[in-house]
Amino acid sequence: MVVGLHVAFYLGSLLYCCAGVLSLTYLWKGDARVLQYGVRLVWGGTAALLAMFAIRWTLYGRVPLTSLLDSLNLFLILSGTLMVLITRKHNVSTLLSFYLPPLAAVSLGSAVIAHRYLTEAPILLQRAPLVIHVGLAFLAYSLFFAAGMTSAAYLCHMSHLKHHRTTWLTRRMPSLQELDTMLSRLLLYAYPLFVLTLAQGLIWAWLDPSPLGPQWWFAPKVVLSFVMVLFYACAVHLRFAGMLRGPKLSYLVLFGFAILLVLYVGLSLAGLRGYHFWSGQA
Amino acid sequence: MSLVAVGLSHHTSPVAMRERLGFPAHTLPNALLHLANRLDKAGTVILSTCNRVEIYAHYAGEAAVARDEIRAFLGEWHEIPETDFKDALYEHEGRDAVGHLFRVASGLDSLVIGETQILGQVHDAYIAAQAEQTADKVIHNLFQSAFTVAKHVRSQTAVGEGKVSVSSVAVDLAASIFGELTGKSVMVIGSGEMGELTLKSLVAHGVKSVLVVNRHPERAQALAAQYDGEALPFESLSDHLHKADIVITTTAAPRTILHANDFHHALKLRQQAPTLVIDIAVPRDVDADVGELDNIYLYNIDDLEQVVNENIEVRRREIEQCLAIAERGVDQFMHWMGSLIVAPTITSMAREFEIIRERETQKTLASLPDLTEKQRYELEYLTKRIVSNILKRPMTEIKHEVGHHDPGTVVHLVKRLFGIEESM
Repeated sequence: MVVGLHVAFYLGSLLYCCAGVLSLTYLWKGDARVLQYGVRLVWGGTAALLAMFAIRWTLYGRVPLTSLLDSLNLFLILSGTLMVLITRKHNVSTLLSFYLPPLAAVSLGSAVIAHRYLTEAPILLQRAPLVIHVGLAFLAYSLFFAAGMTSAAYLCHMSHLKHHRTTWLTRRMPSLQELDTMLSRLLLYAYPLFVLTLAQGLIWAWLDPSPLGPQWWFAPKVVLSFVMVLFYACAVHLRFAGMLRGPKLSYLVLFGFAILLVLYVGLSLAGLRGYHFWSGQA
Repeated sequence: MSLVAVGLSHHTSPVAMRERLGFPAHTLPNALLHLANRLDKAGTVILSTCNRVEIYAHYAGEAAVARDEIRAFLGEWHEIPETDFKDALYEHEGRDAVGHLFRVASGLDSLVIGETQILGQVHDAYIAAQAEQTADKVIHNLFQSAFTVAKHVRSQTAVGEGKVSVSSVAVDLAASIFGELTGKSVMVIGSGEMGELTLKSLVAHGVKSVLVVNRHPERAQALAAQYDGEALPFESLSDHLHKADIVITTTAAPRTILHANDFHHALKLRQQAPTLVIDIAVPRDVDADVGELDNIYLYNIDDLEQVVNENIEVRRREIEQCLAIAERGVDQFMHWMGSLIVAPTITSMAREFEIIRERETQKTLASLPDLTEKQRYELEYLTKRIVSNILKRPMTEIKHEVGHHDPGTVVHLVKRLFGIEESM
């Protein structure tokens, strides 16, 4: 079973990396078939990572959500599936060239750190609401990631049009208005989900604060999460009030995604993700 | 059996000559029937457009005869001496004829490389031939292959991407910014010819609301009336700027008439929705600073022409890849054509071997009268298996060779090797 775990994980990572390379090749070559192969690899990678998730759950009898590797794994599964579905629904496969390379980088990163976590038992999540909280949080992160990468695509397309560079890419990209609409919709789905996730976590922590310690609300993770809520509240309000659109909104969303990266990956790597930070037990 | 293409195009003849030899749609059915009868019920298609007149024929006899007949038909049908147009004609046969049609259908032989209109015209010519029942099996397969090759050329290369006229580039840019143009509004300032042409293209692509601004109200009203639009006084231009998604300026003003401040105000009223500004005027109507504003996309005539030139260059660069796709299509078609030609020979060869097997088996069985029924059956079965195994490889090789060599030569060689002609 442990061998199966390794095979599933490294195969999933490899397939995601290959999908990222293919989507970059599409940017260079422009052959749409390359992107179709990329999508198949994403499905394969997602299946392999799901298998890894199932094996870890079976092997240790705990939902594997808590370690950095498990989180990245869940993020890849949700994001990969979401990206392919979004691009298929809106018939904008060119956007995969913006979505898949960062996912490939995440996949490569998780492969590098995997040896530390792969055969380590996940921390037990004591309550079912916590599992839902983590799952919803990652879905929101995936939507914010999609919004961030759509912003990058918007800025790239806008820059080409502003500077009168009409390459094959500009002709195959969705229009600026479509990208703006997609971006707005992603924010509209991601933001309430993020708020709901935090509210649910807040209620759970309020009702049963014992596992988190008395000063859990001052933990860097909680504080940054509420900064994110305020930040995205401003972005969503400005967008739908018609005050912010196009490049400025895109830059703002990209900035928000950068904070989100710090919030999750930065704090994890710095060992600041615990709730007992101020009581010296981080 | 021969396949020929005879015709003239913009490469080989002036428009006056193409006009004289063209086939208007109403004369096409009669012309097709006349030509097919002249070529002993050959499969024929006539492709007649403003840039080319071509005849494709699948004839049972020699290619040279078909070519002579087509030339004579063109002269007689149009009542023009053959000597008047003979030098403008190009003539292809076999593989060259197939390759020519594939290049034509893919837009690689067109005046504007990669244009798509020709594919529709080739399709219409084929449909006309079908309606008159002059498209036989070979012609049918030839044209279906041409459509497939054209589709591959379009989907696997960038030869059809990027427009190559100023007005269509403007439409492309608008689509890059707004996607669907349905429901968008356009404002035309001035009354230049290029501006009107661009407006016409935009309206053809779904733009609904047209605003016309001109220093001369009567000109503004005349243009607005053509598109069911609204004429606005020149003095109120900046007050109405926010209503337009696309602004086309084409005035003869000696100085710029629109500045960053005008658009800054308009953007606020438009809630930062993007605006495409096409400045076709010389000297320019729009201050260059406008292009620096967020959500404003400013293109002047030089920018548009630069895009046109880049697109033409992109199409040129793709030609090699397109020709390779067309060549692969020709290989496949010639392979199919070859298999048609060798099919009777293969049947004859199998029949010849069967006759020999039957004769020799009967001789042997006559000399072995004591054999049981089962033994006789086993012997018959053995000889059949031997013949079948001997023929298996030659049959495969013959089918393979006709795709790479002249089918006539292959057939001739097979007939000589197995003495098929003598026994037929």
